[in-house]
Amino acid sequence: MTDVLGFDLPADLYYLVEKHVWARLEPDGLVRIGMTDVAQSLAKTIIVVRPKAVGKTLARAQSAGTVESGKWVGPVPAPVAGEIVAVNGEVVATPSLVNSDPYGKGWMMLIRPSSWESDAAQLATGEAGIATYRAFLEAQGISCER
Amino acid sequence: MKIRILDLGTVPWLRSQSIYHGVAYAMRPGDPDTITLMNPAEPYVCVGLHQEVEKEIDVDYCRANGIPIVRREVGGGAVYLDKNQLFWHAIFQREHLPFSIEEIYAKVLAGPVAAHRAMGIDAVHRPVNDLQVGGKKIGGTGAASIGGAFIVVGSLIFDFDYTLMARVLKVPSEKFRDKVYQTLNEYLTTIRRELGDRAPSWEEGKQLLIRHFAETLGAQVELGTITDREWRVIEELDGVLASDAWTYQRGGLVRAGVKIAEGVHVREAAHKAPGGLVRATVRERDGAIDDLVLSGDFFCYPPEAIPALERSLIGTPLEEEVLTTRIAAFLTERGARLPRVEAADLAKAITLTQTAT
Repeated sequence: MTDVLGFDLPADLYYLVEKHVWARLEPDGLVRIGMTDVAQSLAKTIIVVRPKAVGKTLARAQSAGTVESGKWVGPVPAPVAGEIVAVNGEVVATPSLVNSDPYGKGWMMLIRPSSWESDAAQLATGEAGIATYRAFLEAQGISCER
Repeated sequence: MKIRILDLGTVPWLRSQSIYHGVAYAMRPGDPDTITLMNPAEPYVCVGLHQEVEKEIDVDYCRANGIPIVRREVGGGAVYLDKNQLFWHAIFQREHLPFSIEEIYAKVLAGPVAAHRAMGIDAVHRPVNDLQVGGKKIGGTGAASIGGAFIVVGSLIFDFDYTLMARVLKVPSEKFRDKVYQTLNEYLTTIRRELGDRAPSWEEGKQLLIRHFAETLGAQVELGTITDREWRVIEELDGVLASDAWTYQRGGLVRAGVKIAEGVHVREAAHKAPGGLVRATVRERDGAIDDLVLSGDFFCYPPEAIPALERSLIGTPLEEEVLTTRIAAFLTERGARLPRVEAADLAKAITLTQTAT
C-alpha cells in the first residue's frame, strides 16, 4: 500500500487524477478500471454501481457508468478510450466492494483500449504519478480523515 | 465570490428539471456558480437516477390522472412535486466546494436553514442532508456531479400534498399506504403548517432564501439570465428527460420501504408461520419501532391482544432476539394464544421489514 495523505494509491496503477479513477493494463491487453480510494472516500458507502453496457465504445474521460452513495450521485469517467468487454457483476450486486476493496473486488469494468499507449501517456503512474496525485490533493486541500 | 441567481418564476414541469440539468452540463471552467429558483406550473412525480419507475410508482394511477413522471440525475427516492414548492438548485464549480459530502451539505444548507429561521421556523441541518424542525423534516436535499459541475438541490416547502404523495407510490398494501400517509403527516412539515397566517408570501420567502444564500456563502449575488449556450443544452435535455427510454430504464437502487425523513422509514414484510401468514407494517425511527401493525390470516385469542402487543412494542429495537423475548413475555402475561404462531414468528415478520424489498 502506498499511503498518500491517508489514501491508498498504488504506484503501479495509472490514474486520471482529477477524476479519481484508475486503470491497470492486464496481461491480455485489456484495461481494468475503477474508482480510486480517494473517490470512494468522497462518496462514502456506495449503494448502486451501474456500469454502461458491454459492447459500448467510450471516449477517454466519457462516463463509463454511474454510482450512487447515500447522499450523492455521479459518473465514473473512463481513464482510457475503448470498447467495454466486461463489467464486474459482483460489484453491481455488492456495490460496497468499491469502498472495501477499490483496486481489487471493487473494479468496475474491462475495456479493450483503442489507443492504450497514447492514453497511458496522459495518465499519472509510478512514483512521479503518485507525486502528481499528491500535489493535486494538496492543492485541493484534500486529505483522508479515517 | 459571485453567484449568479436565475430567478425563473413558474416554469413548465419538465423545465423545472431540464433547466438545472442543462445549466450544470453547460458549465465550463470559469463559468459562474449559479443558483436557480423556480416552481413547476404542473404537478409531477420525480424519481431518483437509479430507481425503477414500475417498482416505485403507481404508473397506472399517474397516467389516469395526467401526472407526468420524470427521472432526475440526482439520487434518492421518488417525490411528488408541485407549484407549492420553491425549488433551488445550487450549481457550483467543483473546486469551489469542500472535499467531503458532509462539508458540502453543511456549507450549502446553511442558507436555507438561515432563511427558515428568519421566517420564524426553528430549522436545523440534520446531517447528512435533511432540514428539520422539532424532529420533522421541512426539506430534503440531494447532491450530484453533473458534467463539470457539482450540484446540491432542495426546496422551500410552502405547502405539501400529503394525500397525493402517498397515492402515487406503488405500495404492497393499502395498510402500508395508510401508514406512509400518516407518517408523512407526522414527520414532514411545511412553512404554512409551522407558521399559519404568519407565513411569508412566496416572494418574501424567495428573497429570504437569496439573501441567506449570499450571506452564508460569503458571496455577492447577481441576477442573471440563461445564456444561449445553456438554452441549447436545456432544449436537448427536454427531449431526453421526457423520453420513455430514459424514464423507464432499469434501475439498480433497491431499498426496503419508503424513507420519510432522515432515520424514519415505513416498511412491510410477511413471514409464513405454520398457523398462517404474519404481515408486519413497521414505522422505524432510528433503529427502533415507532409504530407497528400486525395483520395476516393467523388467529389470536383474545383478538384485542394484538393491538395491545403492537402498542407495547413501540420503542423496542428492531432486533429479532429482543423482540422474541418481549413478545413471548407479553403473550404469557396476557394469557394470549396464537395457534401455531410463536413469538419468534412475529419477531421474524417484524425484523424481515429491514431487508424486504
